[in-house]
Amino acid sequence: MTVEHPVAVAKQRAPVAGSRKGRLPSRDSLVLMLLALPGIAWFLVFAYGPMVGLVVAFKSFNIRDGIFGSPWNGLANFRYFLMSGDAATIVFNTVFLNTLFLGSSLFAGLVLALMLNEIRGGLYRRFVQSTIFFPYFVSPIVISIMLQVILSGVGGRGGLLNNLLSIVDLPQVSWYTEPGAWPWILTIVKVWQLGGYTSVIFLAAITSISEEVYEAAAIDGASRWRMALSITVPLLLPTFAVLVVLGVGRMFFGDFATIYAIVQDNGVLFPTTDVIDTYVFRSLRTIGDFGTTAAIGMFQSVVGFVFVAAAVLVQRHFQKESSIL
Amino acid sequence: MSAVGQGSSAREEKLSVNTRTLPPGRKARRRPLEAFAAVSYVTVTLFGLFCLVPLWMVVSGSLTDESALALTGYSFFPEPFSLRAYELLFTGQSLLNGYIASLFITVVGTLMSVSCTASIAWVIARRLPVIGRPLTIFAYVPMLFSGGLVPLYLLVTQVLSLTNSWFAMILPLMLAPFLIFVAVSFFRQLPEEILDAARIDGAGELRIFFQIVLPLSSPILAVLALFYAVTYWNEWFTGLLFLSDPDKFPLQLILQNLIANVTNAAQLPSSAAGAAAPVYQLRFAMTVLTVGPILLAYPFAQRFFVKGITLGATKG
Repeated sequence: MTVEHPVAVAKQRAPVAGSRKGRLPSRDSLVLMLLALPGIAWFLVFAYGPMVGLVVAFKSFNIRDGIFGSPWNGLANFRYFLMSGDAATIVFNTVFLNTLFLGSSLFAGLVLALMLNEIRGGLYRRFVQSTIFFPYFVSPIVISIMLQVILSGVGGRGGLLNNLLSIVDLPQVSWYTEPGAWPWILTIVKVWQLGGYTSVIFLAAITSISEEVYEAAAIDGASRWRMALSITVPLLLPTFAVLVVLGVGRMFFGDFATIYAIVQDNGVLFPTTDVIDTYVFRSLRTIGDFGTTAAIGMFQSVVGFVFVAAAVLVQRHFQKESSIL
Repeated sequence: MSAVGQGSSAREEKLSVNTRTLPPGRKARRRPLEAFAAVSYVTVTLFGLFCLVPLWMVVSGSLTDESALALTGYSFFPEPFSLRAYELLFTGQSLLNGYIASLFITVVGTLMSVSCTASIAWVIARRLPVIGRPLTIFAYVPMLFSGGLVPLYLLVTQVLSLTNSWFAMILPLMLAPFLIFVAVSFFRQLPEEILDAARIDGAGELRIFFQIVLPLSSPILAVLALFYAVTYWNEWFTGLLFLSDPDKFPLQLILQNLIANVTNAAQLPSSAAGAAAPVYQLRFAMTVLTVGPILLAYPFAQRFFVKGITLGATKG
């Protein structure tokens, strides 16, 4: 395992091979592996362990017999999940909501980055940038409380939005019993949460655009708007594409904490807000049917894997050097 | 590739100070504010307000007397002003318990996370012969495929018996593969010459890591620590799964209880205060005290987050 591999060494360490080749004896490799040991142990227990634990999905699980002792029941758990009417709804919600979230936060991030780029006052710009980045660090629970304040008030007494509605003589809405509105409410929450964060990524990409391009455009008499539209946006497209690919890849592992913290166990809203993650989490807590829940989780992991793998392949195809492996 | 990451993060630093400031002469020539710039100022400012208003309403609500809150459910200005909720929280026990739990999880978790992330990332970055590539794949696969919630639940409750332990909230989150690879890309930019010099002087691998690599890597260690710390501080759903003893609840879980049922707030100040507890105001005050530490640390920490995101973004 720790045997020197001269070819590999020569290939990877070409520039400094002379000094290195004899200087990495197997003892040093061993010491380095020792350094990696805590991490490796964690991966084995908490990343690979649960993958093995997925056998539960094919079992009629009970606590007494444990993970490996429980009797097998083939694909019954999967069949049960797919037969229940929930499957189609939650898969649709997962894809629909995450598409909304991805599209809106990317769009908001792009627009904010373009506009922040126009702001010249260093101090003001820094202040605004910090402000719009901050929501990213607010926990889902706190977001949930803020949303209650706006939509229903702390004790269900109307809330800010309804008071605004009553000023312009519109009927009051009981938001927490109105499933139709929630995809859009959650989208706004996501824009609030991720707009600033995404703009940071785009701004980083904008800074790498050569200054000369803008100077040339200025000499030609282009307005700032024209420059943004015809120079910045096209040059940001690769970044945009990467973020889309990554987002699509993560689609089945959406940030469920936010949704769950907001919707909680409010069954009225499930038809439009229940995604795979929240469904799994709730069945685990309330129903306690480990077999079926594990089957749903496995379904999610497999479909998710297909998406992620496809995303990685697409990204590698377009951006050879930036992939990790 | 790695050079690009370094370059753009260095540029990012500059960016926050003055971006593309034109030479003074040209700037003066463009005095009449262009329409797009004007629209930008307005829109960005409005978005900034949009981000701040909910936060302000929580702060304001926490300072508003219960009598007003019970009527409206929210408040824009703390009128009538009242500190009662804070008084109750600071004299009671459960806020203290919550802070102890949150601090333990955040501090111990961050220490464990950063040390494990840095050490495994360094080994991956070294590209060891034979084991290097398998190790990379070993750390990469969990980004593609996960066992999901149920096996994790069984692992923590049945196999490790961590129910009601704070470590049940630390261990499942201890390593983030994404941050490992951010650290790897940083380590690969360290100048080889320094390491070679140390080797010629006879330093062992451990010594090189602890006495040369780590001191040179303080920026990336700060990035790692901050990302992990925010994750641990904001974590609640592992708590919901694995903690049942209210005395062990971290702040986020106490808040979660308040969402589920506003009357839980009455139990917050464990001192029997006589008069009815201001449940709505308590809820806001608790929220403020939960976001507070992040809000206080944010101005100092922000640039590290920007650096981390930039490094991560260029890595894909």
